[in-house]
Amino acid sequence: MESKVIMDPPMTPPVLVPPERAASPLAITEAEDARPPAFEVEGLSIWYDEKRAIQDITITIPSKMITAIIGPSGCGKSTFLRSLNRMHELVPRARIEGKVLFAGEDIYSSDIDPTAVRRRIGMVFQKSNPFPTMSIAENVLIGLKLNGVRERAFLRERLEQSLRMAALWEEVKNDLHKPGMSLSGGQQQRLCIARAIAVEPEVLLMDEPASALDPIATAKIEELIHELSTKYTVVIVTHNMQQAGRCSDFTAFLYLGRLIEFGSTNKIFTNPSERQTEDYITGRFG
Amino acid sequence: MIAQRHILGTFDEALASLRNNVLMMAGLAERSLDRAIKGLFERDDDLCANAIADDEEIDQLEIQIDKDGVDILLRFQPVASDLRRVVSAMKLSTNIERVADQATNIARRARKLNQHPALPEMELIRPMHAHAMSMFKDSIDAYVREDVELGRAVVSRDEKLDELNRVASRRLIQRMAEDPDQLRGYLNLMFIARHLERVGDHATNIAEDAVYAAAAEDIRHQPFVPSA
Repeated sequence: MESKVIMDPPMTPPVLVPPERAASPLAITEAEDARPPAFEVEGLSIWYDEKRAIQDITITIPSKMITAIIGPSGCGKSTFLRSLNRMHELVPRARIEGKVLFAGEDIYSSDIDPTAVRRRIGMVFQKSNPFPTMSIAENVLIGLKLNGVRERAFLRERLEQSLRMAALWEEVKNDLHKPGMSLSGGQQQRLCIARAIAVEPEVLLMDEPASALDPIATAKIEELIHELSTKYTVVIVTHNMQQAGRCSDFTAFLYLGRLIEFGSTNKIFTNPSERQTEDYITGRFG
Repeated sequence: MIAQRHILGTFDEALASLRNNVLMMAGLAERSLDRAIKGLFERDDDLCANAIADDEEIDQLEIQIDKDGVDILLRFQPVASDLRRVVSAMKLSTNIERVADQATNIARRARKLNQHPALPEMELIRPMHAHAMSMFKDSIDAYVREDVELGRAVVSRDEKLDELNRVASRRLIQRMAEDPDQLRGYLNLMFIARHLERVGDHATNIAEDAVYAAAAEDIRHQPFVPSA
């Protein structure tokens, strides 16, 4: 029997190249840091009648990042969030002082239409609020239709795109004509997110978007928020400290209507500069 | 130094218990190191045996601290200074356990040395022990009192211990050549010097963790700046 000689490939000494050290996925890159801000809020105060809900807040909110607003109940978190797209004006006898510049433009300037502001700066609320008489598809497309968009192909494309971005498409693609209210709580909240992004806003304001959801639905919303931040600026109000720690790049701590501290989430949750922040996040408040 | 009570009393209790276990472990490691060195200088095998026996309890405390630390992270998800305290306690326990291992190693070497007439070169060990022990005690003190300056000072003292070790090694190598009959004895002393030098390294790690716990500042692996 003829033996086969198997030639070993010529030996070459291995070249050990140290791999590039991977940047932490949680770190804020220089490019992200250098982006122009989404909001520049200067000396903002808000009153409801005589009650001053927000006191002289000055803050710069970075674009295409996630900023969390934390603080105890009644500290003005929601009022501040709503002031970023003039939603607080829907409360009777609300009064404002100071400036909110969005992309360099004062959204409270007399020649600015609040509806136009709200189209560019969308909002998702604590309790999911699909329109009860509308189907899933109608819920997503209502914003575009109200803006006069009628082209069917475009609407169909935007419907799928928005539902995909809201991580809901696979779950509802065969039920688009069923009522929005037929979905589960977590799905309804993602439907509301799809509705908010269908009009292609630049910013998403979220007021406790996952507080009524179970941990799985919450995780889906948090993952979605992370995905959305590649395209949108996200500002989220949350009572859940761990959620703020998990999902945000920056955190602002509000107390009694004042901004106590604003900084990178890593810094706030490992070594806050202000004693009040430390006491609040570690649970030693009051 | 926990300034204000946590809203959850159980969290404060868990943190206090974790800290107490770290302190107990440090106390045991200190005693073990002390017994091992006394066993060497007083030529007392019983003290050496006690030092070796202490190690078991210290190992159990290390396991307990890790378990309690993980439990606290799981149950309370601490942040800021609380998070740093828990992470530091877990890192401290690893270093304290290694200090205790060095004490055990020293005790074993001392027992071997005790079987032969005392070597005058044992005196090389005395200043090293004093220096390593003071570094270890101060590093634990820095952790307990959250004293950043003391922590930094401990780190800068490690260089002197390294130098004492180099001096001792040179002298012992020289003696090996001059007096090869006692080679094993000199070798055991060299190992003891090396174990004490390692105690200094662990004290440095503890001091660095103490600074992190107190001030959230990472001072590890920074270029050494000799003190004036």
